[in-house]
Amino acid sequence: MPERLASGLGAKVRRAFGQLGSFSWLLGRCLQAMLRLSREQRRVVLEVTRIQIRFTALDALPLTFFTALLLGGITLLQVFGQLSGFGVERHISQILAQLVIRELGPLMVGILVISRSGTAMATEMAGRKLSGELAALYASGVDPVPYLLVPRLLGGVISVFSLVIVFDTVALLGGFLVAWLRLPVSFGFFLGALGEAIGRRELTATFCKCLVFGAAIPLICTGYGLRVKHSPTEIPQAVTKASVVSLAVLLLAGAILSVLIYA
Amino acid sequence: MPEPLLALEAVTLLAPEGRVVFRDLDWTLARGARFHAMGGSGGGCTALLRLCAGIAEPHAGRVVLDGAPLEPGVPHRFLRRGHLGWVPSDGGLAVNLSLLENVALPLRFAQNLGRIEAERSALAWLEQAGLGPWANQRPSVPGGPENWVASLARAAAKASRLWLVDRPAGGLDAASIQAAERILGQAAQDPEVTILLVGGAWMSALGRELSIGEGRVYSGGEP
Repeated sequence: MPERLASGLGAKVRRAFGQLGSFSWLLGRCLQAMLRLSREQRRVVLEVTRIQIRFTALDALPLTFFTALLLGGITLLQVFGQLSGFGVERHISQILAQLVIRELGPLMVGILVISRSGTAMATEMAGRKLSGELAALYASGVDPVPYLLVPRLLGGVISVFSLVIVFDTVALLGGFLVAWLRLPVSFGFFLGALGEAIGRRELTATFCKCLVFGAAIPLICTGYGLRVKHSPTEIPQAVTKASVVSLAVLLLAGAILSVLIYA
Repeated sequence: MPEPLLALEAVTLLAPEGRVVFRDLDWTLARGARFHAMGGSGGGCTALLRLCAGIAEPHAGRVVLDGAPLEPGVPHRFLRRGHLGWVPSDGGLAVNLSLLENVALPLRFAQNLGRIEAERSALAWLEQAGLGPWANQRPSVPGGPENWVASLARAAAKASRLWLVDRPAGGLDAASIQAAERILGQAAQDPEVTILLVGGAWMSALGRELSIGEGRVYSGGEP
């Protein structure tokens, strides 16, 4: 029994490393393709990237705004409710800033991007592969890596970065609204305290998380979409795997980055 | 003896269900050759085209195109330069682009033409194919046969050196057949252009007969 357990565990570890290898290969191909783009190819890639940013960032703004406002308010309400007896009112903006900017902002935006765009990317790639569209593009001289994957990678990074800025700003404003209703704090005081709370480490963490999440989500989702082989029934399986693995990578990478930067 | 444009060297190809489509197939396609492939359903005509285009990966052996082997995951020089005119039975057009953008895309991406120039050339070919009114529509609007003709226009617009043309999925009307004959006829005027067609009787005038069956390819009666 223990041997079987160990061998099963070994197979899972091998599979995980195999997947890591295939996503690294995909990332390598994207970076290589980016460096080799001709002038006109660069224009085409930018056109597709623009469309991707519209879908991933611009169309997600209302949902991001709504989530951030609620989350900022609720977080502050909970912190305030639990710790109001300990005289933390003066540090409320620091606590909020650290929670939102360090952890919640990138994580929530990552989850929103996986659920809206990651699943869409996986479905799109799987559909295009099964219909023979990818093969036709490849045979016609349009390499799918620079034409389809590079714009999704660039669009993912730019979109996550933009959405995190929007999310953090709105969540902090939501927090301020709740604080303003409960405490005698002015907006100037709140901003001043925020300025003190946000340092180089917070900005580094946000930047690193945006870069990693923004690149990992499109790579994983398109990668799973491209794995379908024969039947449309593989598409929902690919989409489920893409979103689950993306979420796991998001949590793991977020935890590793937080430990590296703050520990 | 001049080097063939395309060579299948000891190629074995299995269908997804495990059936042998080709076994140890050696076959060459000379530059400037014109063939019209015949064969029963599932006989391997489309599979041969897919092998030649680098879309189907042989289980054994290799396919050499213009002196370099086709390898999975490695963009081939010949394909990257847009020299291959691939016309699958459904046209293989990108569903989120208009017919005009579909035809112009390889010109921009593979042949580095600017957008305006590429779209001008694409429109001229679409008009010649009788698809001018559909130019700004996505492939879902005109339908299968028109998409197939648009795919021919795409191959023509980039002055393909090797045409691999599968039979259209739906029946073509007289106007579409006429447009297809016109485009293929123009391509055939260049003696350097190599054409391999699979399809209906109206295509037979465009090349010598090639029979495919029992895992072999017979050109003019000779395997």
